[in-house]
Amino acid sequence: MTVQHVASTSATSEVPKTSVWARIWQQDAPGYLFLLPWFIGFFGLTLGPMISSLYLSFTKFDLLTSPDWVGAGNYVRMFTNDPKFAASMRVTFFFVIFSVPLKLAFALGVALLLNRGMKGLPLYRALFYLPSLLGASVAIAILWRQIFAGDGLVNKFLSVFGIVGPSWISNPNYSLWTLIILAIWQFGSPMIIFLAGLRQIPQDMYEAASLDGASKWRQFWKITLPLLTPVVFFNAIIQTIEAFKSFTPAFIISGGTGNPINSTLFYTLYLYQEAFGFFRMGYASALAWVLLAIVAAFTAFSFLTSKYWVHYDD
Amino acid sequence: MTDAPMKLTVVGAEAPAWRKRALTILSHALLIGASILMLYPLLWMLAASFRPENEIFTSASIIPSSWSIDSYFRGWNGLRTSFSVFFTNSFIVSISSVIGNVFACSLAAFAFARLEFRGRKIWFALMLMTLMLPYQVTLIPQYVLFRQLGWVDTFLPLIVPKFLAADAFFIFLMVQFFRGIPRELDEAAMMDGAGPWRIYWKIMLPLSTPVLATAAIFTFIWTWDDFFGPLIYLNQMRDYTVMLGLRTFTDSTGMSDYGGLFAMSVLSLVPIFLFFLIFQRLLIEGIATTGMKR
Repeated sequence: MTVQHVASTSATSEVPKTSVWARIWQQDAPGYLFLLPWFIGFFGLTLGPMISSLYLSFTKFDLLTSPDWVGAGNYVRMFTNDPKFAASMRVTFFFVIFSVPLKLAFALGVALLLNRGMKGLPLYRALFYLPSLLGASVAIAILWRQIFAGDGLVNKFLSVFGIVGPSWISNPNYSLWTLIILAIWQFGSPMIIFLAGLRQIPQDMYEAASLDGASKWRQFWKITLPLLTPVVFFNAIIQTIEAFKSFTPAFIISGGTGNPINSTLFYTLYLYQEAFGFFRMGYASALAWVLLAIVAAFTAFSFLTSKYWVHYDD
Repeated sequence: MTDAPMKLTVVGAEAPAWRKRALTILSHALLIGASILMLYPLLWMLAASFRPENEIFTSASIIPSSWSIDSYFRGWNGLRTSFSVFFTNSFIVSISSVIGNVFACSLAAFAFARLEFRGRKIWFALMLMTLMLPYQVTLIPQYVLFRQLGWVDTFLPLIVPKFLAADAFFIFLMVQFFRGIPRELDEAAMMDGAGPWRIYWKIMLPLSTPVLATAAIFTFIWTWDDFFGPLIYLNQMRDYTVMLGLRTFTDSTGMSDYGGLFAMSVLSLVPIFLFFLIFQRLLIEGIATTGMKR
């Protein structure tokens, strides 16, 4: 029984037919009034802009003159005649494919270690979480640029062992890896989610397994991991979408260029350059819709395949 | 969440005690090693900000040979506009965003969690879908809209969306919490003749301080850290937030004055770090229960 039910039933019993509007007012108005700010935002800042960016993606638009319809031209150019688009796709997929599984592996590994009943768990958890909280800041990207510079911290340590390291951020073979390491460094928040998931696993399952003589190793593969798959699934989706949207570190570390030779040209960075560097708003809108398609396809694929590997309670 | 360690009670073949102890010590060694490795860069930056300028690039240690706060003074006035302007701007934007988000999102969440109206399920589903939407898809029309409204080079494009509950994640967070509050409470209030507004204001909000605080803290941190929004909408240096100030620093003098750059970087992290120190438990619970990205 909710607020509105009571209000509407009492209203209908008192007033007959004429009050259809009064009844709507009684029953539906409060909900819609409370949602009013969200409605303005949803239509004005989300749905409306989505429709118009879909339209703009089929136009040439420089912000100053009105958009020119070019049909599928933007999309055709993107997939047939734009080496920078191809480069940004390669960079972004490489980043996602390496950073997400490695980050999750670290998060799960540390969570398992902490869940062994370690003393000082709150302290460790807080320390490992801190980089996750700070990591999105421009300050951290600046720090990273310094750490992996030619005369940076990493090379100082290497020089102790007599190794002369390259300038990691200005070498196209390594520059993307510095960003992947930055992403892995922030494994704290998926780790916390894993820890919460591990606590949900009933302890008597392990006791029963031990009685049956199952080794720790077997218990991990047969109990822990299957029961944790919903959390793995959740973390994988969130982290993948975040990785596709990543922008600030690549922007700061490459000074907004995506260099050396486009090796850190994240998709979002390329989109930014097209939109706000060259004012090719139509083309940038098309890029945005391709990004949405990729994210949607990935999410749909994950959900469709989830029944084969994600364990749900019966 | 309790922090009581979960002991694995192995009933069957018990490992010898010495092996267990060795494993525990090894685990601690691993964890301590990993913590040091992870925090070293942060500590090094902190140390670098207190070093005399000429020592920054020669030392990898985290203890300066001599302490100096010159870098902070140099950095604070290292650009044409001083960092006091940038910090003020960042605080204005972040605090306004907190107010907007907490207010607008809690209104929407109350409607979704407690009120009965036609179309509720559809709107709720649509709201959830916007969670997945990459912001790039709405970016350009939003920019065109705010430009036509004359809002470019003001804080409005950064703040107004918060008052329109554009950050659906927090609606979701609050709906989850509101659903956990016993309905008997609002029913009792209703019997006493309280309308939806009074129930929202007098019952739900006072009972929801944990979730409101979590939303407020995360909104503050995310807005404080936001780089993309200010990058697009703020072009005048007097309007810059701290993040834009830092970026400008790296482009200009930063290449010659790493001490000043690090000092300002450290200062930019201070508010977030304070939240971490004070509200650590709230932040960790927020992540554990809702699965936040950061």
